[in-house]
This record gives sequence, structure tokens and C-alpha cells, in this order.
Amino acid sequence: MHIPDGFIPLWQCVIYYIVVIIVGYFAVKWAKENLDERKIPLLAVLAAGIFAIQAMNIPIPWGTSGHMVGAAIVAILLGSPFAGFLVLAIVLIIQGIAFGDGGLTTLGVNIFNMGIVGGFVGYYGFKGLKPLISKIPAVFVAAFLSLFISAILCVVELYFAGTFPLATGFYFMGLYHFVIGIVGEGLISTIVFIAINKIRPDLISSGAI
Amino acid sequence: MNISINTIEQESCKNSIIHDLDGRIKLILTFIVIIYAVYTTDLLVLLLMEMYLIALVLLSKISLSYFAKRILMILPFGGFIAIFQPFLKAGAVLYTLPFGLTITYEGVVFGALLLSRLIICLSTVVLLSSVTPLESIVNSMRKLGFPKEIAMILSMTIRYLFLFFDELENIRNAQKSRCFNIWNKKTSYLWRLKQVGYTIMMIFLKSFEKGEFVYFSMLGRGYTGEAVAYNKQSKIVKLDYFIIILTVAIIILIELFHLNGII
Repeated sequence: MHIPDGFIPLWQCVIYYIVVIIVGYFAVKWAKENLDERKIPLLAVLAAGIFAIQAMNIPIPWGTSGHMVGAAIVAILLGSPFAGFLVLAIVLIIQGIAFGDGGLTTLGVNIFNMGIVGGFVGYYGFKGLKPLISKIPAVFVAAFLSLFISAILCVVELYFAGTFPLATGFYFMGLYHFVIGIVGEGLISTIVFIAINKIRPDLISSGAI
Repeated sequence: MNISINTIEQESCKNSIIHDLDGRIKLILTFIVIIYAVYTTDLLVLLLMEMYLIALVLLSKISLSYFAKRILMILPFGGFIAIFQPFLKAGAVLYTLPFGLTITYEGVVFGALLLSRLIICLSTVVLLSSVTPLESIVNSMRKLGFPKEIAMILSMTIRYLFLFFDELENIRNAQKSRCFNIWNKKTSYLWRLKQVGYTIMMIFLKSFEKGEFVYFSMLGRGYTGEAVAYNKQSKIVKLDYFIIILTVAIIILIELFHLNGII
């Protein structure tokens, strides 16, 4: 889902950058006001962890593999969509600048898709669904939605950029990410949530319990 | 074909004229070249840019095969979309294939443009990361006015990045020595998935615990939530100015030639 350089025209990249900078401003403000100082090193180390997790292949039925994004589970565990946004922004900046995974001009759009949409859909999806379908299924559905909606947005963005037609994009990206969403993001996030809940429940933010 | 994160870092610590440039200059150059490559729509312009980049690679004494390998490793991500362009764009049909597939002229041109742009941008990023250690890139970002809070998290992240890749490698080796293979069809799919899930969960837990641990050791050294980082002061020297002026001059020249229809 990392859109590379050259696939989005410059003027559209600027729009995504502006959105990311605005959300980034609020995220930093949130971090200063609500995050106690012990969480700052945690965000940093978690970003390094997510980086390694994204390098891990998860087997997907028909012989391919996908990887987890992780915005939703971070947002749920730390109790704020901004946490998901910050961690993913850090990961994507390093991937873009140092490894060429994603791009520099498209850094804005990638942070928008995975950080903002992933974090917010994951967190508010979980918050909204928890009273309806209880905690664990809510983690699953929220994590699935966070990945699936980002993928769909990615198709729409590539369509606006004139790089990929909408219908074909929905078909291929939609189908592929539907499966990755269920297996890679949904199931794995649920396993992580259940395990952390069992072993170190104190690590989960009070909002999520 | 696999180049580990450690190899990349080792390569970036070598010595050459390009390695010695100031991190800020290298970062700015990277942005200039990439923005120009995304802006332009001419294949010949992109070819000239790639030649300039390869000249820089040669100057930096990075082996060309290492350079090419790294680009090839990342290329599939976007190359896939570029390669399918000929079948997707409407336009003058060049060739009709069975199953109603057609190759169009516009599609071929657009696909070639995307692919060339991608190669230029990847070349630039690979060059940057091959001649600049991660830590220097992050410090340069901080010096160029990147928000302080995020720059601090960034510089901590890159410190632990290598640790977590080692951690991941350890887990993989442990699994391999027990004959675990995510593609092994003899074990049930759900079971394999569960194992991967546990691995990821372990990395999560380890990063949580490492995060706490780091916090306590920072606290022990007087951390109060404000980050003060002392960076080695580096001066921008004549060579830095020279390279940046040269690059901008080359880009302007190429663009002028292009506008006047010479290329």
C-alpha cells in the first residue's frame, strides 16, 4: 500500500502533505498535553518494533503474502488515534527516506492512508463497536476496517492521480486487501491484543479495557 | 538478493567525497532531484538525470551491483502498477491480445514514464541512504527545522531499529531450526498463522518492555520529558555548495534544453 514517488502529481501531493501537517500539529499537541513522559520513549521503541513487524511476511491463502500495518492496534493499545498516527508517521518517514519503500513526495499521502485513516478508523471503530459486539470482536473488526478502508482510499487516490482506473483498482486492491485485512491485520491484531491483555494488562490504556 | 539493514548501514559509513558531504546538503539534493523527476514528463530528461545520478554513485565508490540490487529489491512495489499501464489506458491500440486485452500506445508511454520516474526516485533514495548513516539523516532533518518532538522520537527509533531486526532474525532462526516454514502445507493454515501471530505479539511485548526499560534508564540520567540533544557541529564547506549548485545548474540546464525542444 506504499504509494511510490511519481505516481501522484505534485500538486496533489501538496494537498496530502498539508492534511498530514495539520493532523501532525494536533498530534504533537496531544502528545505534549496527554502523554506522560514515559510514553515518549515507548512510542519510539514501538515504532522500531512496528518497523520489524512490517518486514514480516504473513501467509495469505493463494500463495502470496502480506504484512501488517499496525496503526489500529497501536491506537487501541495506547488509547488514542494520535498514537497510531505518530508511530506510523515515524515508520513511514524512515521507510521513505532510507529504504525507498514508499516515497518522499508521496510521504504525505502514505502517512494520510496508513497513519491518519488507519489510526482513526482503528481507534474510533474499536470505541464504537465495543459496546455492541464486546471487546475482542471489536478489535478484530476495527483492525480489519482500518486496513481495508486505507486500501480503498489508496485506490481512489491513484484514480484521482490518473494512475490507475477505479474499477480495476477496486477489484484487485480491494480483493487482496480484504484478505490481508482479515488475516494480516484483523486476526493478528486480535492475537496481539488477547496476549497482551493476558500477560501485561497494565500496558493497555485504560480506555481500551 | 537479500540486503540486510546492517549491510546498508555499513555501506553508508565508508569514505568518499560524496560520503563526506554534509547530511543537510544530501537531504536537500535528494528532495530537489525527486521533485524534479516527479514534475517532468519527458523520458529523455529522466535518462539524463539517471546518468548524473550514476556519475554520483561512481564518485561515491559504491559498487554498481550493490546499487542496482537495492533498486531491484524495492522496484516490484511500484513497478507492478507501471507494467500494467499498457493494458489499462485507453488510446490508440497497438496490439490486441486474447481475452479482450489490448496494448495501447498511450499506455505504453505512460507506463514507461512511471517506471523511469520510479527508477530515478529509487536511485536517489538508495544513493542517499548508501552514503549517509541513518543517524546523520535524522540529525540533518532536525537541523533543517523538523519539529523537535518528532525528531527526538525519530532518532530514538533508528537506534532501536537494528535491535529489533536482530530480534526478528533471532526469532526466525529459532523457528527455522525447528523446521517451521510459513509456506509448509503439511501443517494447518490456521496453526501457521497463529505462530506468526505469536511472533508479532512477542515483538510487540518486547518493544513495550524495551520502551519502559529505556524510559527508566533515561530517568536515571535525569530525563524530564524535555529532550536536549547534542550534535556534532558540522560546517557546510565549499564542496557542499559546489555539489548543490552543480545539481541545480544541471537541472535548470536540462529543463531549458527540454523547453527549447533541443531534447
